[in-house]
Amino acid sequence: MLAVAKCLAGRGWRIAITLAGILALAAGAYVAQGLWSSAPSADAAALLAVALPDDEGREQRLDQWRGKVLVVNFWATWCAPCREEMREFIRFQRMDGVKGLQFVGIAVDQADNVRQFAKEIDLNYPALIGGLGAMQLSQAMGNELMALPFTVVVSREGKIVHRQLGPLKEAQLEKIVGKLL
Amino acid sequence: MAPAASATGLDLSGAEPKLLPPEQAFRFSARALDSKTLEGRFDVVDGYYLYRDKLHFVLQATPSALEKAELPSGQRKHDEFFGDVEIYRGAVTIKLPIAGGSPGQSLVLVADSQGCADVGVCYPPTRQQVRLTIPQAGAGSGPSVAASPPRKGLFD
Repeated sequence: MLAVAKCLAGRGWRIAITLAGILALAAGAYVAQGLWSSAPSADAAALLAVALPDDEGREQRLDQWRGKVLVVNFWATWCAPCREEMREFIRFQRMDGVKGLQFVGIAVDQADNVRQFAKEIDLNYPALIGGLGAMQLSQAMGNELMALPFTVVVSREGKIVHRQLGPLKEAQLEKIVGKLL
Repeated sequence: MAPAASATGLDLSGAEPKLLPPEQAFRFSARALDSKTLEGRFDVVDGYYLYRDKLHFVLQATPSALEKAELPSGQRKHDEFFGDVEIYRGAVTIKLPIAGGSPGQSLVLVADSQGCADVGVCYPPTRQQVRLTIPQAGAGSGPSVAASPPRKGLFD
């Protein structure tokens, strides 16, 4: 095991996905490829089936937010552009949470770093710990380069309506989420 | 990088992303100068940068071992979470003194790095490695060797 991976993975190195889930993810990736340049409306079932520990170590299944407009954001404390856009996400969560908007962060990082940063910015949505394994999950969601931040927006109906590598600007987020709420 | 990308991020539902994979954005190569010194080099493509304090080198060859890498100063960059950090752009060469090396010896130099693209995307730590042979005494430095295979070991 490589030292860097080990250091990053830490105690958060624990992705609880079943074999069926992994197969579904692989299938999802295949679908995503096909839909790459057309309107993305891939089924988010594979993503919703994922369960990861939060920053307190409690396992959280993504499907508990089924029926909400779900913004799943892959990030890390070592990624400056990720940290910047999260301040905006916090504002959106505060403004539109009541209308059914739910942000969920999946950190490619270790729990200690995540806890410290979450406290510092007063994070108001769940921060799940994925370790480096979360990179592979994001890759299955279409993040071919495995770079961060990477964000997937899921409609109330459980369809992936937007995937983005790089920061989501305020106006863009408003446009995407506004249509779904 | 296209200015449009920095304005809007990279919408994967539309155009193809134009970002390079990290092993191409941060190409690593190295050569053996003599039995006491290796030289590592990163060629960072325009629009990308590496974090100085995230560079780590390991030598896979016993009994030789790397001594302290001589990392040149980088450009200052303020990070609100990590404070002032140093970054590298363009070409950066790093002297890597070794102990216990002998002429003709084959060794593998492993370089870990982490960097970002100016469009607002960061890569996880990337591992690259090169196989070098220490030149014979008086023969001058060995040839420059490009890293391969890329990204090996990231998820080992």
